[in-house]
Amino acid sequence: MATMIDMVGVTKRYERGGQTLTVLNKLSLQVPQGDFVALMGPSGSGKSTILNLVGGLDTVDEGRITVAGQEITALSTGALPAWRARHVGFVFQAFNLVPVLTALENVMLPLNLQPLSRSERRKQAEFALEVVGLADRMHHRPRQLSGGQEQRVAIARAIVTDPDLVLADEPTGDLDRDSANAIMDLLRRLNDEMKKTLVVVTHDAVAADKARRVLHLDKGVLAREVNNPAPARVPAR
Amino acid sequence: MKAPWILVRRHLRSHWLRTGLTVTSLVFSLFLFCFLVSIITTLEDVVKHSATNRLFVQSAVSLFQDIPLSYQGKIESLPGAEKVSKFQWVGGFYLDRKNWLAVFGVDHEVLLDMYRREMDILGPDGKGSEEARVAAQKAIDADRQGCFVGEGVARDFGWKVGDRIPLGSMFFPMTDGTAWEFNVVAIYHPLKANFDDRQIFFRYDYMEEMLKAGRCTGAEGVGVYVVNVKDGHDSGQVIADIDGLFANGPQKTNTMTEAAFQALFVSMMGNVPFFLGSIGGAVVFAVVFSVINTMLMSSRQRTHEVGILKALGYTNGAVGGIIMVESLILSLIGGGLGVGLAVLMAEPMRVGLGAYFPTYAVRPETAWWGLVIAAGVGVIAGIVPALTASRLKPVNALRSEG
Repeated sequence: MATMIDMVGVTKRYERGGQTLTVLNKLSLQVPQGDFVALMGPSGSGKSTILNLVGGLDTVDEGRITVAGQEITALSTGALPAWRARHVGFVFQAFNLVPVLTALENVMLPLNLQPLSRSERRKQAEFALEVVGLADRMHHRPRQLSGGQEQRVAIARAIVTDPDLVLADEPTGDLDRDSANAIMDLLRRLNDEMKKTLVVVTHDAVAADKARRVLHLDKGVLAREVNNPAPARVPAR
Repeated sequence: MKAPWILVRRHLRSHWLRTGLTVTSLVFSLFLFCFLVSIITTLEDVVKHSATNRLFVQSAVSLFQDIPLSYQGKIESLPGAEKVSKFQWVGGFYLDRKNWLAVFGVDHEVLLDMYRREMDILGPDGKGSEEARVAAQKAIDADRQGCFVGEGVARDFGWKVGDRIPLGSMFFPMTDGTAWEFNVVAIYHPLKANFDDRQIFFRYDYMEEMLKAGRCTGAEGVGVYVVNVKDGHDSGQVIADIDGLFANGPQKTNTMTEAAFQALFVSMMGNVPFFLGSIGGAVVFAVVFSVINTMLMSSRQRTHEVGILKALGYTNGAVGGIIMVESLILSLIGGGLGVGLAVLMAEPMRVGLGAYFPTYAVRPETAWWGLVIAAGVGVIAGIVPALTASRLKPVNALRSEG
């Protein structure tokens, strides 16, 4: 199977209060195409940093990252937005919908960057909302939706451009158990049926159970890997 | 540049109170700017459009010192003088001293000819014509109490040809305390923007007769002689000739072109134009900070949104562009409404300011400058938040609370 993500010797440091904090330390990691990976680990272990680096939202200090055959660490900061628009869909813990737009308009946002007519964009966005089961709420604003519904809109926005890779940072962190399960089921369905490669950061062992692989990070290095996890085998945090 | 422009409209609408208040401040400041600039340009217009072949002869001492009646014949005898008319300001008013008017005693035989380029006499059909001019001349020749009134003042007080109008005079009051009475024989329409449509011209010889009969009090003499220079003669030379005639008294004269005479009035206002211009500039300067504040608040609240857009693939330019366009639209809406209000209010303002600025108008270039300034305010107010937003790293923007 082709490799979707190839991280080689990646180091990322942050300056905090005059101190240098090494969040990722020469991390190497491969994610095959079509995989569904859950990243777990204590706070500060570098989970979200991996998503930011793989999604081209942040830059590495050392090492190399290749996504879908493109070495993104070699791309200029000016070229990264266009690359992101074509290849990556993001889902965030806080949903990150634009509050002044309706669900449909939020889902259409990434499509504005594609060479599509307005009617094509609308059609595609409506389809994505249908996939996540929110076709009847497309004209609602985020504040008129429940947390679970907001997150489903965010997932529709993440997949509407048919990206190679979906990166989800704590997608169930702000949700109750039922909503969290529904969101993880939806993500699993995207992986099973639409063959999307997913990398999900989570603290939730039950949520991580839906992934095909769970990678545990600690202090910026890969500590453990569990394949085809079951809830009992995935320690919390 | 691909950007979600819908956000501009939605943000302006969703924060309607902030938008409304900022727009309102822009409306008032641009209205005030246009108004103040228009006052200045109105004063300039009066000078600019004044005739250079018409001279005003006044006392060298001051405008308020009358010059002798005997001077007229001597001026008329000069080779460069074509026509000469007395202009005696009587400080007239209608019914109440509040309604003060520009009322002049003039030589009715020559006035219409001298001001052929400045005013048209309206006929019964409300249009200017040569026939109406001839008829008006005949009418005033035949009626010692006849007068010409401007269409502005006629409109304001509902006067029409044939009406008998009572006018008070501050400088030539009737001895029995009654008002002067004049018959409206014609209504004139100004042909030049700087020619006041609220003046009243009556026969000087009637006033002279009343003075001699002791029916009114006031100084004998003339405030100003207006002289039309013959074609082919140099105004400068005629000025020198007139002042030379009276260099040895009894009353020295100060002759100047109409433009210089009007400029003298403007200069009598001291630094008022500069003062008005400064206020206009200060108002615009203040509103820049108001819009900058609005845009900074708006963009700070949207830091998180900036992160979202960048994560979705929007470029730095697109994100900054949204904020810049929002600032421009906000400023142009407010500025446009302010300028529009100034243009719409120009006529009511002209009527309201009639006694002081009878030719008040908002020049098209003033309106355009208002819009350019509004756009400039938008650019200045938007540039810092737009640059800040475009330079934000997406990962940092997403971490913000906004």
